[in-house]
Parts: sequence; C-alpha cells; structure tokens
Amino acid sequence: MGPVIATESLTKKYKEKVVVDQLDLRVPGGSIYGFLGPNGAGKSTTLKMLLGLVKPTAGNITILGKEVSSKNRLTILSSTGSLIESPAYYGHLSGKENLQIICTLKNLPETEIPRVLQIVRMKDQQNKKVSQYSLGMKQRLGLAAALLGNPKILLLDEPTNGLDPAGIQEMRELISSLPRTFGITVLISSHLLSEIDQMATHVGIINQGELVFQDSLSALHEHSRSRLLLRTSDDQRSFSYLKHSGLPAEWKNGSLSLRTLEDNRIMQAVSLLVNSGIGVLRLEEQQMSLEDIFLHLTGKQVSL
Amino acid sequence: MSSEFIRQMRAEKLKARHKKAILVPLGFLLFQILWAIWQISSMDPQELPDGYMMFLYQLPPMNAIMLPLMLSVIASRICDMEVKGDTMKILFTLQKRTGFFDCKYLTCLKYLLVFVAGQGVMLPVLGTVNHFGSLKISLYLLYLLVTFTVSAVILCIQQFLSLISENQLLPLGVGLAGCFLGLFSMFFPAPVARLVLWGYYALFSCVGMNWDSEINKILGYYEIPFPTVSFLLFLAAGLLIYLICRTIIQKKEV
Repeated sequence: MGPVIATESLTKKYKEKVVVDQLDLRVPGGSIYGFLGPNGAGKSTTLKMLLGLVKPTAGNITILGKEVSSKNRLTILSSTGSLIESPAYYGHLSGKENLQIICTLKNLPETEIPRVLQIVRMKDQQNKKVSQYSLGMKQRLGLAAALLGNPKILLLDEPTNGLDPAGIQEMRELISSLPRTFGITVLISSHLLSEIDQMATHVGIINQGELVFQDSLSALHEHSRSRLLLRTSDDQRSFSYLKHSGLPAEWKNGSLSLRTLEDNRIMQAVSLLVNSGIGVLRLEEQQMSLEDIFLHLTGKQVSL
Repeated sequence: MSSEFIRQMRAEKLKARHKKAILVPLGFLLFQILWAIWQISSMDPQELPDGYMMFLYQLPPMNAIMLPLMLSVIASRICDMEVKGDTMKILFTLQKRTGFFDCKYLTCLKYLLVFVAGQGVMLPVLGTVNHFGSLKISLYLLYLLVTFTVSAVILCIQQFLSLISENQLLPLGVGLAGCFLGLFSMFFPAPVARLVLWGYYALFSCVGMNWDSEINKILGYYEIPFPTVSFLLFLAAGLLIYLICRTIIQKKEV
C-alpha cells in the first residue's frame, strides 16, 4: 500500500529558527509509523502542521492521496482522528457528554459512542465528570474521541506521556491492535525508543527538525549488526593507522571499533596493524543496540 | 442557515451544559431591579410622572458601571472551558475557526439578549406599578438598542481576550477596568470620552437633565436628538473590531 501521509519539503520557521526542515515523510497505509525524536526535535510541530493547527512555512502535505489546502483541509481531516499532546476535554462534562460534542461536530450518530467507549474500555466511567478522571482515563477518552467515525488515520502525539506503567502498557496494546482490527494507519510520535520498538512497523527519526532516518523497523534493526570491537597493544595508535588507511575506525569511550563486518576489510585492518608492529589481542563482533543507532543518528541521548 | 452552522451551534449548547451561565445576566438584572426599586422608594410623589425619563437618564451610567463586568464574566464562563481543556487543537480539526468564533459569540450574545430583554420588561412593569405616566416607546427602544449594541462590541473584545488568555484574570481585569473607565469617561472632555469604548452607553444617551445648581435641584428632563451618524460609525467600528478579533483567532497557532 502506498503512503497515506506524505510530505514534501515540509518546513516550519519561527523567525530565523528552523523547527522543521525540509521534511519528506512517507507513512505507509496500514502501518504503525513511529515518529521518533528527542524532546524539541519538531515532532509535535510536524503533527500540528499535518492537522492544520500550525501553518507550514513551506512544503506540501498529501493525506490519502489528496494534497491538503485550506479549502479541502476539513474534508480530508474528517477521515482522521487525532490526540495531540495532552488530552483535550471539557472537565465540567461527563465522558459521554464530551463525546456527544465531537459526534455533533463530526455529524455522527450518537450510537457511535458506546462502540468507541467499548474499544477504550471506558463504558463504566462514561457518566463521571471528566475533571474527576485520572490522566490515563483522560488519554483513553481522547483516543475514544479520535476513533469516532472510524477514521482511516490516527495521529497520536506522545499518547503515553504522564501515564503510569500499567496505563502505558494498556495504551500500547490498544494502539497496536488498531491496524489489524480496524485497518487504521497510526502515526505515533514519541521520544521513547523502546515504545516505538514495541509498537511500530515503520520508523521515522527526526532530530533538530531534520528527518535523519525513515524506513521499516526491521531496516532500523539491520543497522544493529555492524561493529567489530578491537583490542590491541596500542589502541590509540591503531585508531590513527586505521583512519589513515581509510578504514571505518571509530574511537568512542576509550574503545576502538570498526564499523564493518566485511571479511576483506577486517583482514586488511588486521594485517595493517600487525605489519605496523601492533599486537592484535581481541576481535569481537558487537551488535549495536537501537539506542546506539539512535545516538549515532541524532547525536543525542535517548530515553529508554 | 447551513446544517454545519446548526451543528456548531448545537455543539456550543452541549458545551454550556452545567455551566449555569444564565445566572450571570439574571443576577445582574436582579441587582438592577433592586436598585430601581430603591430609587423609586426615595422619589417624591410629584417626581413619579417623570419616572421614565429619570430612569432613561440614570440607566446608561448604571449600565456603564455594571455591564462591562457582566460581559467579561459571561465571556469568561463560555470561553474558559476551551482554554482550560485545551480543546481548540481538536475543534480546529473539526470546524472552521471562523465558525467557532462566530458560534461562540452568538452563544455569549444570547445571554446579553436575556439581560437586555429583562431590562426591556423591567422598566415598563415598574412604571405601570408606580404610575410613571406614559413611556415614549421610540426613546425606550433606542435606549435598548444602544445598550445592546455597545454591549455587543464590548462582548466581542471580552470573548477574544478570554480565548487567547491562559488565565481568565486578564479578561476579568479588563472588564473591571472597563467599568471604571466607562464611569470616569463621563467626566472627560468630549473628544477623549469618544476614545473610551465603555463610555458609549452614556454618550448615546437620549435623555438629558436640567440641573439648577443654585437650588441644587433637578428642574426636569429633556430629549436629546439621537446621534444617528455617530451611532452608525460606532457600528462600523464594532464590526471592524469583530473582524480583527476573529482574524487573530483564525491565524492563531494552537
């Protein structure tokens, strides 16, 4: 299936500060697309631009094959549901009354309400005032509101933020079930790599407004087998020899590694070191963890 | 009326449930009724035939003192739920921002209408009971028109402030400041008084008073020709203020 959300050179500037830079997002249909990045990377701004809440400085947005303009924005967005940052709610009304408002605005029958409350497992709390809900319940109500009208796409911005571990687990299970149960494509943003790793089928990594990686989760995992750790009699001298010879040597945290597993390159590196009078003590294949990949791509520490 | 507009108005009605916003205009109206009864009780019997003119002279400054506060409370009551619940980020994916602002305004206007209608009934009833004589209907309708129009423009500003403020103290503070400004503007030189929006209740007053400073007594009341051109200019300025407020909300990033 082709992309249901695509952006072309999507850019947002606030005065001189570029918050989102030339973003080319491709969200495949039926996927759970994890939009990953450190805090302040531009995730929320991107989602808000997709929803028309923030006006892009440049670039195009295509949703469900139609280029979004100010004229057709609401028509296109009628096929989407969203939960942006903290949940939106009317605290003085009950959960059910909140959903009635969304139903009215979306022109949906109120028979939709029990269905979505069933999905988010909130039937018993529907008549309670939302101001008395816990954050987890508010998030689930927000998700219920987003699910009204069977949207084709769901945009969720950090939906597990502030939830307790049980709430996080419940929300994850709920989101993971949406594509297979209802055929919904989910675009979910998070700064938590482990969260995306557990839910997503595709990943986009954004850092300082730029998309530094975009592919399937398995492709991201592919990156995790590409390092050979070296212990020699003189690691620092070895590093400079290898670098000079154009080999992909890396010096990090006091250890030397080669970012390749190709036999020829390894042979070349070992003979170079031996011929230079350096003793090779150990060669160890090391898998890069997802955190390492993230760090490598973004240069920032990731939350786990 | 489009079905979309009706849906949006219905959504506003659903949102206002349990808010009891109707108590705000009713409370202010009750206060004015009590004030009017107190005024009547202190009148001499020979002053009663002039009762309507006296009230048409005294009500505009009274409105200038009370209505800015009432309007700020109404707007705050209807708009703070959107700010508190951070709902605009979902609403603006479901409805046009201009539609949101218009429907919100009409909802607030409904409460203003309750107050003006209440005033519209209050004076004839009090006048009939206390034998005020005859009420000049055209004068009374003009008074109600001015009260509604000036309030509608102030309401627009209050709604705008309530929608853009994280904290409702600012719009309520502006409402309170408006009460004082409206009152004090009556003592400003005419060109300066024209710059004070809250003072227009008194500026468009159709009744004047003859005051004898030597004997410290009211000699009588007289009709002032209605400043139609100024009123039309005020209407145009009000419309411009509305469009500016609506455009800012339309462009606002949420």
